[in-house]
Amino acid sequence: MDTRQNITDEKAVLRARDFWTSIGLFALSLFFLWRTSFIPLWGENRAGVSGGDWYNSAAIVPLGIFTGLLVLSVVLFVIALREGGAKTALGQVGIGWNRDEAWRFSTLAVILFFYIAGLVPRVDFILCSGLLITALIYGYHGGFARRMGVAASAIALPGAYAMAVHLPQSEWAKHDDDWLTLLVWLVLTGVVLVQGKGDRVARATPIIAVLAPTILVCAMAFGFRQNVPNRGGLIFKQIEYHYYVTLKPLWSR
Amino acid sequence: MEFVLSQLAGFGGAFYALIIDPLTYVYLVTSVFLGITFGALPGLTATLAVTILTGFFGNKIPLDYSLIALLGAYVGAIYGGSYPSILLNIPGTAASAATAMDGHPLAKQGRGGEALGLTTTASFIGTLIGTAALLIFVWVLLLISKNIASPEKALLALFGILLSGTLMSEDLVIKGWIAGLIGLAMAMVGMDPLLSEPRYTFGWSYMLSGFQVVPVLMGAFAVPQIIDGLRHMEVGKMVALQGRILPNWTAVKRHMPTIARSGVIGTGVGALPGVGEDVAGWVSYGVGKTVSPDGKNFGKGSLEGLLSSETANNACIGGALIPLLVLGIPGSPPAAALMGAFKINNVIPGPTIDPNIILRVVAIMVLASFTMWILGLFTAKIFIKILRIPQTVFLPVVMVLTTIGSFSVGGGINDLYLMLGVGFVAYFMNMMKYPIAPLVIGVILGGLFDETFRRSLFLSDGDLGVFVSRPGAAILLALNVALICAQIPAIKRLFSRLKRKPA
Repeated sequence: MDTRQNITDEKAVLRARDFWTSIGLFALSLFFLWRTSFIPLWGENRAGVSGGDWYNSAAIVPLGIFTGLLVLSVVLFVIALREGGAKTALGQVGIGWNRDEAWRFSTLAVILFFYIAGLVPRVDFILCSGLLITALIYGYHGGFARRMGVAASAIALPGAYAMAVHLPQSEWAKHDDDWLTLLVWLVLTGVVLVQGKGDRVARATPIIAVLAPTILVCAMAFGFRQNVPNRGGLIFKQIEYHYYVTLKPLWSR
Repeated sequence: MEFVLSQLAGFGGAFYALIIDPLTYVYLVTSVFLGITFGALPGLTATLAVTILTGFFGNKIPLDYSLIALLGAYVGAIYGGSYPSILLNIPGTAASAATAMDGHPLAKQGRGGEALGLTTTASFIGTLIGTAALLIFVWVLLLISKNIASPEKALLALFGILLSGTLMSEDLVIKGWIAGLIGLAMAMVGMDPLLSEPRYTFGWSYMLSGFQVVPVLMGAFAVPQIIDGLRHMEVGKMVALQGRILPNWTAVKRHMPTIARSGVIGTGVGALPGVGEDVAGWVSYGVGKTVSPDGKNFGKGSLEGLLSSETANNACIGGALIPLLVLGIPGSPPAAALMGAFKINNVIPGPTIDPNIILRVVAIMVLASFTMWILGLFTAKIFIKILRIPQTVFLPVVMVLTTIGSFSVGGGINDLYLMLGVGFVAYFMNMMKYPIAPLVIGVILGGLFDETFRRSLFLSDGDLGVFVSRPGAAILLALNVALICAQIPAIKRLFSRLKRKPA
């Protein structure tokens, strides 16, 4: 009986989500249909050259795709309505997302946003990835809500600083944000080691955090000779210098 | 007969070239080991293994070696999923979900070693069956595909997206179609392939070249997995392994009909566009339950049940490569990642593919399955130890891997923004039970569909009759229409009424 109730609840939540999704999809399809109207369809002239017939147009396939999406969004809306989605959607704010899950997702979203948008372009890759690994293991191993908040703050602080102080690309080579990231990483590592006394995962965290990004970035840069993020970063700059100046001549001779 | 012999000679040449190259073994052993590790860790999937390695090896080493790395990881990961299924009752990959039904009860009966030994051998034989089918059918289909023109290609691409959307949907079928259309819509961004007309670029120069495949793959498959997996989970109680992990040849011989049947089913399901190893495993398990004399014991620790799913999911790999190589339509989500690797190496799978690449793929598959068998039998204890690593420890490293892999493919920081954006969208789509595979297949096939659809209309001066003017096109159009109509409730009701009438 409980299982059947759970399935019904799950379906109700799903239909409530479908209700909102169908509205979102409807709006999105309309927006892109409007944008598609910017692409010449009926043989308009472009810079004095005739754009040809409708079947030549670059708009024809997108028009079909977004019309299809519009139709399917209406069908989804009808299904959601018939199966009580609107009632559940308008009656419940959380549509099935409990507070813990919302907190877990929000902190992760903050971490990933500041890591990708703030730190990776501006801060040494080994430093920012080491901090990311430490923060994620500390924050999410064990499932403590407070730790998730600390982990998100540990990434958001240097990430927001880097974005605020060095937003344009011309500023990305500056190193003050690297130092701040290193400081936060060291403090967080200290917290991990103190709080996790005797815990194997806590002891392994700093080792993984240092080794994984260092090996990866070196393999990518020197093994595969590929571009890596922020070549002028605080630590990678030193590694690259010593690789080409100190080490490589040893076997290039 | 002459045809078969010439194929075997070509395969022999490719195989010999592989085995005399020492680097083959370095890439093969490393990638199969990594693949099994990815498959064995619950939370990491075969698709993720191939996607991440595409970011890493895709265009950094010669195509031949990158194919060894990617196919090795693919074969290894599908097999690796059986470890947690049997020992923890948690499928390592979706492909091994059916394996847990009988694998775990067998382990609880103290037959874990026997079960792992048999799945290793069954996976090996399954991969070989799929590979043999690949060697034979790919040539037959290639000969046929030489005659297909733009209308057939456009309808085939559409069929791939629709079929994948239909079969991969857990909830409503239209959710699969919506995912496919979103993928197609994403493929429309950038300069159009015929007139170089910019579409949906919003004045951003990065968008002119369209969305790159690798960041989309990383975003669609890796980021949601990382977000979803970073939660506290008690590692299930692992059943102590009893018995040696060696193939019981008498049992293998006794169950050979089951293995052969499952291999054929797996290959067939794999050959359907966009349908993955999980479907192959379940279909084979379902058929086995119906036709096997041991059917009533399925789910209670039946060796037949175990072999049905494990053989089929590995046989699916060879099947999934058939539409990929012949038509440029991926047969499964990991094959979609492989398609990404081909694309960034400027190799266009389809009727114009270099036949040597196909022979090399077949040779790699045989070597990879053999490596998987050896590693499975002799290093199983290592993989069992790996099972104990919590996902909150390895997923952060996967995030770093994903970031550097996506960055280095070419687009730089913008590719990372794209990856993150697609990742968040894919996470919510997963949450709302939208399948991700049709989206990715839509992104990959969108360009092909757009170009061939418009070229067909161009050649016929806008006459839509071009889509029924050739028998192949007419059949494909009928299949597309039937696939859509089969989901319309009124038509469904009509058919069920017609069915009831004769009774």
